Amino acid sequence: MIESLGVFVASTLRLATPLVLGATGEVVSERAGVLNLSLEGMMLSAAFAAALGAHASGSPLVGLGAGVLAALLLAAAQAWLSVRAGANQLVVGIGINLLALGATTFAYREIFGGLSREVIPSFEAWSVPGLASLPLVGPALFQQTPLVYAALALVGFSAWLINATSFGLALRAAGEDPRAADQAGVPVARVRMLCVLYTGACAGLAGAFLSVSSISTFTEGMTNGAGYLAVTAVILGAWRTSRVLAACLLFGAATALQFLLPALGVALPTALLTMLPYLLALAAVSGVVGRSRPPAALTLPFRRGSSR
Amino acid sequence: MTALSSSEGSGLRTNAPRAGNPRPATTRIASLGVRAVPALCVLGALGLGLGLIALTGVPLARALPAFARGIVGSDYALVGSLMRAVPLSLIGLGYILAERANLTNVGGEGQLAVGGIASAAVALYGGAAALPRPLAFLAPLAAGALAGALWGALAGALKARRGSNEVITTLLLGFVGLQMVYGSVQSEALLRQPRTDSSTLPESLPLPAATELPLLARGSGLPLHVGLVIALLLAVLVGLLLAKSSLGLRLAAVGQNELASRRAGLRVKSLIVLALGASGALGGLAGAIMIQGDQHYLTAGFSSGFGFDGLVVGLLARGSAWQVPLFALLFGALRSGGLAMEMSAQVPAAVVLVCQGLIVVATAAAAALGRRRA
Amino acid sequence: MTTATTPSDPLARAMPERAGASPAPASSTHEEGTTPEPEREGALCLRRVGKRFGELIALDDVDLEVRRGEVHCLLGENGAGKSTLCNIVFGVQRPDTGTLTLLGEPYTPARPADALRAGVAMVHQHFSLVGDLSALDNFRLGRARRRSDELAAKARGLCERFGFSLELRRPVEQLSVGERQRVEIVKCLLDDPALLVLDEPTAVLPPPQIAGLLELCRQVAASGCAVLLVTHKLAEIGAVADRTSVLRRGRVVETVDMRGAQLDALVRSMVGREVRSLAATAASASSAPARAASGEALLEVEALRFEDRLGVERLDATFSVRRGEIVGLAGVEGNGQSELAAILSGMLKPASGHVRLAGRETTRSSPRELARLGVGCVSEDRHAVGCHLALSVAENLFLGSLERFTRFGWLDRSRMSQAAEAVLREHQVRGEARAPMSTLSGGNQQKVVLARELGLPGLAFLLAAQPTRGLDVGAVEAVYAQIREARGRGVGVLVISSELEELLSVSDRVLVMYRGRIVGDVPGGLEQHERVGSLMSGQGVDPIAGLGAAAAERAA
Repeated sequence: MIESLGVFVASTLRLATPLVLGATGEVVSERAGVLNLSLEGMMLSAAFAAALGAHASGSPLVGLGAGVLAALLLAAAQAWLSVRAGANQLVVGIGINLLALGATTFAYREIFGGLSREVIPSFEAWSVPGLASLPLVGPALFQQTPLVYAALALVGFSAWLINATSFGLALRAAGEDPRAADQAGVPVARVRMLCVLYTGACAGLAGAFLSVSSISTFTEGMTNGAGYLAVTAVILGAWRTSRVLAACLLFGAATALQFLLPALGVALPTALLTMLPYLLALAAVSGVVGRSRPPAALTLPFRRGSSR
Repeated sequence: MTALSSSEGSGLRTNAPRAGNPRPATTRIASLGVRAVPALCVLGALGLGLGLIALTGVPLARALPAFARGIVGSDYALVGSLMRAVPLSLIGLGYILAERANLTNVGGEGQLAVGGIASAAVALYGGAAALPRPLAFLAPLAAGALAGALWGALAGALKARRGSNEVITTLLLGFVGLQMVYGSVQSEALLRQPRTDSSTLPESLPLPAATELPLLARGSGLPLHVGLVIALLLAVLVGLLLAKSSLGLRLAAVGQNELASRRAGLRVKSLIVLALGASGALGGLAGAIMIQGDQHYLTAGFSSGFGFDGLVVGLLARGSAWQVPLFALLFGALRSGGLAMEMSAQVPAAVVLVCQGLIVVATAAAAALGRRRA
Repeated sequence: MTTATTPSDPLARAMPERAGASPAPASSTHEEGTTPEPEREGALCLRRVGKRFGELIALDDVDLEVRRGEVHCLLGENGAGKSTLCNIVFGVQRPDTGTLTLLGEPYTPARPADALRAGVAMVHQHFSLVGDLSALDNFRLGRARRRSDELAAKARGLCERFGFSLELRRPVEQLSVGERQRVEIVKCLLDDPALLVLDEPTAVLPPPQIAGLLELCRQVAASGCAVLLVTHKLAEIGAVADRTSVLRRGRVVETVDMRGAQLDALVRSMVGREVRSLAATAASASSAPARAASGEALLEVEALRFEDRLGVERLDATFSVRRGEIVGLAGVEGNGQSELAAILSGMLKPASGHVRLAGRETTRSSPRELARLGVGCVSEDRHAVGCHLALSVAENLFLGSLERFTRFGWLDRSRMSQAAEAVLREHQVRGEARAPMSTLSGGNQQKVVLARELGLPGLAFLLAAQPTRGLDVGAVEAVYAQIREARGRGVGVLVISSELEELLSVSDRVLVMYRGRIVGDVPGGLEQHERVGSLMSGQGVDPIAGLGAAAAERAA
């Protein structure tokens, strides 16, 4: 039982980390007014690129860099299309996801041969001295791969960025009232594009985590909806980094329970657990549970001179 | 104007009134160019696909014929493409129906799923098999449509009453629907077939023959079923509805300006629920057709991306009902061709996904740049 | 010079110091005595600036010069091109032709940030503040390099200089309209601009605060800044302008030095004809005999209350309208008229109170139900609420009554177009039935909307909110002719308008709204101008006395 708890906590953290990385990055974009459904595609490309990079160089760090680059590439496309061209952000996101799925599957087959189960060089777990030997949750909490700690640091950094810097002020204004922000001299388009790139970098970390830190391999479509789940976490977390972190942990826990409960002999239909995140987010966005108010200009392209 | 706001509640404002001067007709050549944009995007993406095929080292001379054979190489292949196009058409029609009221339904995958569940449930356990001939297969179809309608109407109600943005709600409901399929075939209390041994797959029992969709061209043994007729009929119906009916005009009015529509006396809330409900119904019907016509039993993931593909078909059709079946056929053919190409020429079918992604992105970009110029 | 001037010159009456050709009064922008003004250098120069949107010419060969240290007013009716000009000066839009210079240098802003950097600041009519953020955060927007304590200190300094106080840390959306405007002004002055543009700043202010704003403009100009005040209200021009340019149909028709200027001459330039004759024809029409104003009340509003999102009470009204009478509702914009109109047209639910039509409770009826009961409404925002710009004229006319042309769901468009054409002919509207509404001029669009409402079967009551906003004189006359014709048929009409002369000319009775309450009920007629004016500004708020006096007059 106690081991189960330890395993549960460790699994929760491990499963939540890509969500935390992806969702925290996405909060920055959405607060500035851009919705990135392409988060899924960014994470998948990053997972593949990281696997490729680590495999080719033998170093997971190189893989990490490759992953971030791949995600940034897609983020740049999303940024240019949604912000400069003013295209429908949702359509662009779905298109990029299709593209990413196709491209990574294609490249994987060509390079790795499809069914290989190559073990990718990946990060070793770090032990926080002292804390790692705490009973019960010591190993679970303090003996994780470095990206897990990086994720938590990212949450803090993003919160500081949004709330305490002048860039954060500008992005919040761009997401609430881009017209007023523009008239105050804020470069709305540039701010939004930078935010999408930030999301891309975070998505890169998230995707790389999957292939070079969590499961040391790449499989086709391995993100399996994690990007959408991250977007869902942003909704449930009401666009606030601390609450989004909580939502991600909740989702991670729900996924961990899927494996834990059968092992414990509890016959709860796993479908309920997998549905839970979406149901919670639905409740949040429909105002049943609290009032989740999105940034006023979310998904609306800004064009100077058009009214309101 | 402080007293009123056009978006009740706190929803995302994707429905800002589409006011402003529509452009007067430009020269004939320019407007032809605008209409050709989707076609150009498709051609461009296909060209890139060819490039990718070349990258694999497989000579185009081998890959392309394999692709073509997958689409039209035999009667069987042709029928396969047509049958794939049926659910894609229906979802696409549902998309443009909601789009007329400026509502974006991205939950096609979930509506397919619940449609399939309802259809399988009624066919297997709802006594449909015992009904007289046409009702035996019509009843599960109706159940599927109804389930999809409820799924869409739920999002519509949330939007009408609480201002919740329908993109988010239909997307979330879509995922819920997918998980519901998974859940319903996991448990024997629901739709899972009785476990005879440990290798029994999590699927439903096969549907009774009476509830399967009747075949056209009976003697040939081809799996060409009546879903084709249904899809074509609905394409005509939706087209007429949007262009010629009062309801179509009311939906357009709501789509352009909710406030003015309310002022004019339209029942805006009801229209929103109706639009998303009808859109969902088409998706649910598509799911039922897939179960009763193609697959004949319910299994997790039966919808396998048809929902998103259908959404793309709807996007590309740009509001025009007669273009939906064309793009549906294109995407259905792409799928068939891709699978055949993979099987016989060892070119990954993922090339087709790349092409689809490129088509979507290019069309969205072109549409946006066209608007900017306006 | 006394203020007892002729009643038909209400403008001069409002500004006694400018009336007639008396010597220039002492004011802070002029030097003492009679020495001539030294020529001030030009701050902003527009030369031959033009802008068109498709077929519509918004600005046509505009020449304008605003000098340092002067308050220059740009006078023009709605639709004359003022907003476009402001947008061009601030970099929101680019001119098609012409040049701009600022302090002698070429000035070509591509975006507001360029304008701000060049030293141009603008107080927008609808404010450019992000509601969620505090005043201090709004100051920091676009000024990443300046420290927030430095900005706060400068802001406080400005407040002291102008004699008001500001809440720097509360979200701006929680402040009152006047406070928000002051935040906007301080925000503009933080960078010591060379040119300050104010776009219709008094439209949203209650009368007691208008004088304060105008004084502020004078002080800003006195410190060396050039001030461009864009407005359509003559009273303000008289009080504060050094020079005035009149903008009409996209052209500057004249630029006038305000010393010794005649305000009614300005009005003639602005409108293109004597405003008096409009009033004269109206007066003669309304004094025509026997309107069938039966004693029974048609529309009764009782203790109708509305609170806005922040809990501030916006409306608390009680009044009635009889059959066959035109009741005007006067008041500065923002005193509850919009809320009242929205409630009466079924678009907004009141917090409490009652609305009754011929005795029947209609407080919370939907627009659909109201139409069935014979209530027609012309909304104040034509484009956002009154019509669908992208739909055709015929569709706009009959959207609420499509059943007439529908059989088994099928819409008979040819029959609908024919019916539409008949309506257009009847109301002399220039436009095609099948053309999009957006292709019609503002005046014709309003005629269509009015035709739609007047065509309601069983029309009993008509609400017309700001019915002549943005219309030229011909369209204004047509609208009031239609309204009078409806009255002749026995329809009860409530006209809400901030154009006081029009209202006084056409109404049988005028109610005055101030801070959401009815503070006066006086007979119609231009001679009531002064009385209504003072009621509008909150002076003489004695409802009982006002009503009593009116009743006494009617009895006489």
